[in-house]
Amino acid sequence: MHRNIGFIFCLTVTIALMAMILLPLVVVVLGSCINASLLGLSTDLWSGSLHDILDFSAFGYIFENYGDWALFSLELAIACVAICLLIAVPAGYALARYPFPGSGLVEELVLLPFSLPGITLSMGLLATYGELRGPLLVLAGHLLYTIPFMLKVVTATLRSFDVGQLETAARSLGASFPQRLFLVVLPNLRHAMMVGSLLVFAVSWGEFNVSFLLNRGRPQTFPAVLYDTYTNQSIQISSAATTIFLAIVIPAVIAIQWFGGRESVEVEQGA
Amino acid sequence: MLTHDFTINASSIFSVRERRQLVPLLLCAPLLLLLLAFLVWPLAHLFQQSLLLTDTPAAGITLRNYLEIASVPRYRHALLWSLELSLAVAACSTLICLAPAWLFTRYQFRGKLVMRGILTLPMTFAGMIVGFLMVILLGRTGFIPQMFERLTGTPFLSGIGYQFPGLILDYLYFEIPRATLTLESALCKLDSRLEQAARSLGANRWHVFRLVVLPAIWPALISTFAVTFSVSLGSFGVLLVLSIRRFTLLPLEIFTQYIAPPTDQGIAAAMSLTLLTVAFLTGYGLRRVTRRMGITHA
Repeated sequence: MHRNIGFIFCLTVTIALMAMILLPLVVVVLGSCINASLLGLSTDLWSGSLHDILDFSAFGYIFENYGDWALFSLELAIACVAICLLIAVPAGYALARYPFPGSGLVEELVLLPFSLPGITLSMGLLATYGELRGPLLVLAGHLLYTIPFMLKVVTATLRSFDVGQLETAARSLGASFPQRLFLVVLPNLRHAMMVGSLLVFAVSWGEFNVSFLLNRGRPQTFPAVLYDTYTNQSIQISSAATTIFLAIVIPAVIAIQWFGGRESVEVEQGA
Repeated sequence: MLTHDFTINASSIFSVRERRQLVPLLLCAPLLLLLLAFLVWPLAHLFQQSLLLTDTPAAGITLRNYLEIASVPRYRHALLWSLELSLAVAACSTLICLAPAWLFTRYQFRGKLVMRGILTLPMTFAGMIVGFLMVILLGRTGFIPQMFERLTGTPFLSGIGYQFPGLILDYLYFEIPRATLTLESALCKLDSRLEQAARSLGANRWHVFRLVVLPAIWPALISTFAVTFSVSLGSFGVLLVLSIRRFTLLPLEIFTQYIAPPTDQGIAAAMSLTLLTVAFLTGYGLRRVTRRMGITHA
C-alpha cells in the first residue's frame, strides 16, 4: 500500500510504544546479571560483587529461597489449564451449539470477572470461605479469572463455522455420538483449545491480587515472590526474580501470537 | 400392534426432546456450580456484609458504611483519585493505541508480527511488576535520570514516576495490549473501500477520518475505553510498589484495610462493592450502548 504521512505517523507512535515497553525490560534483564556500574546505575542499591562483569548469584538466591514458590505457581497454572479444559470446553460447546433458556445469562455471568476487580472477588471469597483460605481457594479464584478466556475462544470458534452442519452430516453417514465428538467436534476445536490453554496458563502465572490475598503461609505464587523481593531485597535480586517471571510469560505470549493470529484478538481483552 | 408402535414412537420423540434440554444443562452443570459457589454467593455475602456495621451487626441493615466512604476524606479522595486516574488512563490508551491498531490493520510491511508481539507482551503483567519497571527506569536513581546526569549533569526526569503523569504512564504500560487488540479487532472489520470512495469524491484526509472512519469506529472506541477503564480501576499494584504517601487509590485502601490488623470488614466490603459497581456499570453500560450503536450502523 501507498506509504503516506498517516503511515509514518502511526509507525512513529508504534515505535515509541515499543521502546517504552522494551527499554525497562532490557534494563531489568541486564541488571539481573551484569555489574550495575557498567549500566551507569548507582551501585549502592545493587548488591552483588562489583569486580565481576557477569554475576548470576542473584538467580541462585532466588532458586534456593523461592524455588518451591515457583513450582507451586507452575502447578497452579497447569491445574487451571486442565480444569478449564474439563469445565469450559463442554460448557462452551453446549452454549454455542444448544442454546437453552438462560444460556445468555450464563455467558454474561462467566464474563463478569473481566470487569470484576480482583480485590472485590477476594474480599467476597474471604468473607464467605475464610476458613478455607489456602491453595484451594486460590485455585477457585484463578479459575474464575481464567475460565472466561477458554470459554470465549471455544464459543467464538464454534460460532465461526457451522459445527451443526458437520455434525448432522456425520450423523447422516451413521456416526455415533462418541464418533462425532472425537472425530468431528474435538479436532475442529484443537486450535481453540491450544490458544485457550496458553492464555489460561499466562493469566494464571501472572495473577497477583487474588493469589496474594487468598493464600496463607508458604508457598505463595510467583508474583508474590516478586512482591517479596521488591519490598525486602536489593534491586539485583528483584531484577533476577522479574527475569525469571519474564522467561515464563514471554514464550507463552509469543506462542499465543504464533497460534492465535487474528482469532484470538477479540478474546484477549480481559483483566 | 398399531397402538404399541405408536407408544414407542411417542416415547422416543419425548426422550429426544428431553435429551436436547438435558444434555446442554449437564454439560454446563460444573461451570454453573463453580460460578454459583465462588462468584454469585460470595458477592451476595459481601453485599450483606457491606450493609451491616462491623461493631454492632445486630443493629440491622444500614447504609452507614457507604456513607462513611463519602464522608471520610481519606476514602472519598481514594475514590475520586481512582476515578480520575482510570478516566485519564482509559482516554490516553484509547487515543494512543489507535495508531498501532491502524498500522496493523491497514498496512502490510515486514516485521509487523514482531511489532505486534512486542506490544502484547505486558498483557499479563501484574501492576506491581510495572511499578518495579518504572522504579528501575524513572525512579530517583533510575536508568534514564542517571543517563541524563552523565550526559548533561542534571538528573532529568528524576522521580517523575512518583507523580500523577508518571502513574498514567505506568498504567498505560499494561493497557497498551488490551487497547491495541480491542481496537484492532474493530478496525479490521472496517471496509477500507469506504475511505477510498470518500477520497475519490474529493474529501481530504481529515474529513475522511472525521466523517467516515470516526463514525464507524466510535463503538470500538467506547468499548476500548470501557475495558481499559475497568482494568485500571481495579489495579493498585503500581502504587503498592511505589508507595507514594500523599496518594491513594480505592483498591489500595481495601488492600491495606485487609492487611493492617484492625480491619473494618463492613467498610472494606462497602468499598469493594463501590469499586465493582463503578467498574461493572461502566463496562456493561458502555458495552450495551455500543451494541445498540452497532445495530443502527449495520
